[in-house]
Amino acid sequence: MTRRSTRLAVAEVLAWWVALGGLWLAFINAVDTLELAVGAGAAGVAALAARAARRAVTGP
Amino acid sequence: MNGWLLAAAVTLGGGLTATLWGVTTGPLGRRVVAQNLATAVACPGLLLLSQAYERPAYVDLALVLAVLGPVGTLVFARLLSDELTGHPPRAWWPTWTAAALGTAVVLALCAVTAPGRATVKLLVTGALLVGGNVVAGRALTGGIRGVRGG
Repeated sequence: MTRRSTRLAVAEVLAWWVALGGLWLAFINAVDTLELAVGAGAAGVAALAARAARRAVTGP
Repeated sequence: MNGWLLAAAVTLGGGLTATLWGVTTGPLGRRVVAQNLATAVACPGLLLLSQAYERPAYVDLALVLAVLGPVGTLVFARLLSDELTGHPPRAWWPTWTAAALGTAVVLALCAVTAPGRATVKLLVTGALLVGGNVVAGRALTGGIRGVRGG
């Protein structure tokens, strides 16, 4: 894995994380610290899964 | 009974009766299209019920249904692809009717909901509902093999 591809991978996961974290924020009832922490963690896991799914469909 | 409840009763009663009739009669293509439309009708019905009973939790049910309904149809399209290849169902009229119903319900609810995160949630639910059913309808009529990576 070259340096450039690593940067691209990190950027893609970050973009997924921001988008999925935004969805979490829109869907919860009350915004508090615990919800934010759980949402950040869940969005992180989902971002990795989303990148894996995207690579499975369109290739690396 | 308020207007929202009446609209939910008409949507769920009329729509689910029509889809039940479609699922239990006719050739395979018609039945698989009808089961796809069942979730496309039930989801707007749940959204109307959430407004009628003032229970926002029903929107979560509609959201889950909007995601899982088209996924279930894609599984049917995959498993029945051999049978559907010879006689692909024509589903554009009912698919776009259901899409119009979902769009109208979501827009009506957005109009009476105070702008905020609830509106975003409604719009995302509507986009998933309409987009998911159009994709699922395309997989049924065009065949899953035609979908990129399918």
